Amino acid sequence: MTPEQITLVQSSFERLGPDLPALTAAFYQEVFRRDPALRPLFPSDMAELRVKFAQKLTEIVRSMPQLAELLTHTRALGARHVGYGVRAADYQTIGDALIAALAAVLGERFDAQTREAWVLAYNIVAETMLEGAAAARPIGS
Amino acid sequence: MTLPRWPIVGRRPELEVFERALGSGERAGLVIYGRAGVGKTRLADECADQAAASGHPTQRVAGSRTTALLPLGAVAALLPEGLGGLGPDGQVNAVALFEQTRQALRERHRGRPLVTVADDVALLDAASLALLGYLAAQQAIFLIATVRTGEPVPDLLTDLWRDGRLERVDLHDLSRAHVDTLLHLALGGPIEAGAGREFWEASRGNPLYLHELTLGALDSGALVERSGVWHLEDFLPATSRLLDLVEQRIGGLSAEARSVVELLALCQPVDLGYLETAAPAGVLESLERAGLVTIAVAEGQVRLAHPMHARVVRAAMPRLRARALLLAQAERLEAAGSVPGPAELQIAVWRLDAGGEPDPAVLVRGAHLARYAHDFRMVRRLMEAVPGEELDAVGALLLGEALYELGVFDASERVLARGQELPSSEHIALLLAVTRAKNALWGLCQPDKALAINAAARAAVTSAPLAEELVADEASVLTFSGQPDRALAVLGRSTGSDQRARAVRAIAGAVALASAGRTAEALALARAGHADHVALGDEPGIAHPAMHVVNQVFALTEAGRLAEAEQVARAGAEIVASQRVPIAQIWFAINLGRVTILQGRVATARRFYAEAAGLAQSSRFAGSRRVALSGLALAHAMLGEPDAAAQALAERAGVPPFGFLGPEQRLADAWAASAARRPAEAAEAFRAAAAEAAATGHRVTESWLLHDLMRTSGEDAAARLQELADACDSQLVSARARHAAADRARDGAALTGAADDLESLGAMLLAAEAAGGAAGAFGRAGDRRAATAALRRSTALAAACEGANTPGLLHLATVNAAAADPLSGREREVVLLAATGMASKDIAERLYLSVRTVNNHLQHAYAKLGVTSRAGLTQALGSTL
Repeated sequence: MTPEQITLVQSSFERLGPDLPALTAAFYQEVFRRDPALRPLFPSDMAELRVKFAQKLTEIVRSMPQLAELLTHTRALGARHVGYGVRAADYQTIGDALIAALAAVLGERFDAQTREAWVLAYNIVAETMLEGAAAARPIGS
Repeated sequence: MTLPRWPIVGRRPELEVFERALGSGERAGLVIYGRAGVGKTRLADECADQAAASGHPTQRVAGSRTTALLPLGAVAALLPEGLGGLGPDGQVNAVALFEQTRQALRERHRGRPLVTVADDVALLDAASLALLGYLAAQQAIFLIATVRTGEPVPDLLTDLWRDGRLERVDLHDLSRAHVDTLLHLALGGPIEAGAGREFWEASRGNPLYLHELTLGALDSGALVERSGVWHLEDFLPATSRLLDLVEQRIGGLSAEARSVVELLALCQPVDLGYLETAAPAGVLESLERAGLVTIAVAEGQVRLAHPMHARVVRAAMPRLRARALLLAQAERLEAAGSVPGPAELQIAVWRLDAGGEPDPAVLVRGAHLARYAHDFRMVRRLMEAVPGEELDAVGALLLGEALYELGVFDASERVLARGQELPSSEHIALLLAVTRAKNALWGLCQPDKALAINAAARAAVTSAPLAEELVADEASVLTFSGQPDRALAVLGRSTGSDQRARAVRAIAGAVALASAGRTAEALALARAGHADHVALGDEPGIAHPAMHVVNQVFALTEAGRLAEAEQVARAGAEIVASQRVPIAQIWFAINLGRVTILQGRVATARRFYAEAAGLAQSSRFAGSRRVALSGLALAHAMLGEPDAAAQALAERAGVPPFGFLGPEQRLADAWAASAARRPAEAAEAFRAAAAEAAATGHRVTESWLLHDLMRTSGEDAAARLQELADACDSQLVSARARHAAADRARDGAALTGAADDLESLGAMLLAAEAAGGAAGAFGRAGDRRAATAALRRSTALAAACEGANTPGLLHLATVNAAAADPLSGREREVVLLAATGMASKDIAERLYLSVRTVNNHLQHAYAKLGVTSRAGLTQALGSTL
């Protein structure tokens, strides 16, 4: 990513402000719409998870400029998701859902440059989460 | 330096296929297909590493041209005792040997399959393949085989495949996003936009090329890190490993096909029509089939399919061979004769590449063409090839300008000064003078020298349009050394009848007018200047046309049209980044820093200023770097980072003084003092800078300084701010005046109105502070409901300010900290002043109280806030912001 793209991700996220819960809600809706088979991986009451997601997303966005700090978040997060049975293909679905949710909540402010910056940011997060997941998952019996 | 590690990116689905295959206990192996360099070996090794991390035994066997000669040579590591003894018939009993091996492996690994990487399996000898097939079928090993696309697939694999015992993955080149992620993880941080694009365009997603390019660029020092961002300062070098890789790809070509590839590598694109006649029939088709060339039929042009091939073939070609090809092409185009323009540049470059001595006239014409394309590296290259005694005044001008644009200021001064001594037309003499003056001002940071060069030229000039341009140029030096009023006085002497003089006039005039607060005129002039400049075509001795767009951004900002300014700046920055125009890149970044800091997006501003400082450093523009470092210190200070602000100021102290935006640069010193809780020093710095702004005609900047003086110290400047608002056509200057007047009157409704104005301009931080002031005023007037509403609004506005930590926001902290036990209006007032570092005596004077009363209020506030000292107070407030 370029420094400007990191700034763009952070500033568009900060501009969400009070709309953060709306983003979280839109995100899970998009995930389940895109792949209903993922629904059983999540608890039936999503309230707590939404709050956690928003917190984690905030931490990750804040740490974008410092790769070492970002990696401590994403690798651990990826390792935790092994237990939920999340796979590489699901990361694609989840990334698409996040971008769609951002587009819905940010509206016109989500221009082409902002979208590209978010796609790249998510790619870094997904790759390093998957790296953390691989390290945490023993192969075979 | 070396890379800590080369990460694996974009291959997780494939790794999961491997995990499942190995974990299932039913599969015999995995085959990885793909083109050379796509990362088959890297993936196979990663699979083995993951297996090893889970406790699986692993082994690596590799075919080579040598082991292929020796039966079982490649897999010797698997055999229990070498090749085993001879059987009773005097032969090696293969069946017995295979079975012996299987049993030995089972025993050694206690029944777990040995995960065996067979790299480039097509290179293995038949016996090794047979053994691997046997062991895999018996599940003594789990085979990971790599096969290059186009290579024959060994029977062993087809047999296992037919039986459904193998998994298969096909690897492809990485997407642009994955290349970006790979570089980010490998380098450990962000990369400048132009550099990222160059890596992408050279590698086209081929991971091996990307790896080699990155290592090569780090080794050669072309890729460097500055302030946490990676920059590319030179062309990407071709490493010897890259040469080998590409040689492997094109090594088997026929001599005819190879000539075509070499010709394309040197001169692409080449006309299809020419190649069809020059190359034997069928050669182009076979190259296209092999994926080595692409033919654009509509354009009638042929190029190599991968840019890396061109790069590497060029680097590896013997000089004489390249020379012959280049000269032949140069002659062909010259003979064709009718091709004007770029072809001449091509011819000159080809002759230079051929190591020949091209006709200096052709070099100079080529340099002119390169100059039109703003390719200053090429101009320098062509002009430095002209022998010194043959360099005329025109050549000196081209070379001097290119050296200036490339940041080699001392050499530029030498070349241009020499050029002025050579015979030339009056027109060329003028261009030499203005370019030399520009270099003196922007490069050497010596405005007096620039004015002297200009004065000497004016004394000598006779033609009216040229005289007019020199007047415009004098104004330009004055504007960009921080004297807008003097610049405007000089511009009054020029009539603006000559188009070129008008374009120069616009560059100086737009900035001077905007600084003086005549923003509508400034904007119109910047737009007209751009139109004039574009209609003019592209001439030497004049700034890049993008600078008119930079000036539009500056004028929009001074007018308070912040959203428009940002939009224009972003679009412009994008364009000049792709064209690599450093001076424009730097000024777009600085202007984006100015816009965003006025919007209250302080962290974003910090990043833009840091980017500008980095770019200015690598382009060696000291003056621009000074302005950028000032902005950086300002942003740090407004974020409540006094140490980082002091560090930026210390770095700035090592850069020569630069007059442009002089009073604005001093905002940094004042805010740094304020952030370090030295209020008296801060206030004095604001006052001194405002006086300088008033003396030089920086009306918009003066309003910025006086308004910030009020924001940080409460000092009243409403009257002067109103005068400035009347003198300027700037909504921002007006809104500041309104804020100051309302603040002086402590009028809640008026402060709310000021917050409305500021918010509508997008100045969120100022709006938050005005709304906070309104809350205080309403509170004092006993209107609790209005106070609460204003406070809520202030909090919401402050949320858009990216962690800004200014004295004007402290009221929010007192509210948060004292939510359980609210401070009284007086207590809050006293606390806010104390938190800026003001002494009790001064607070008492300001609020018309006794020192004792002030101290009493402080003690009560300490108790409510749970602190025991003034230091604890600032800490408690700081942490809740």
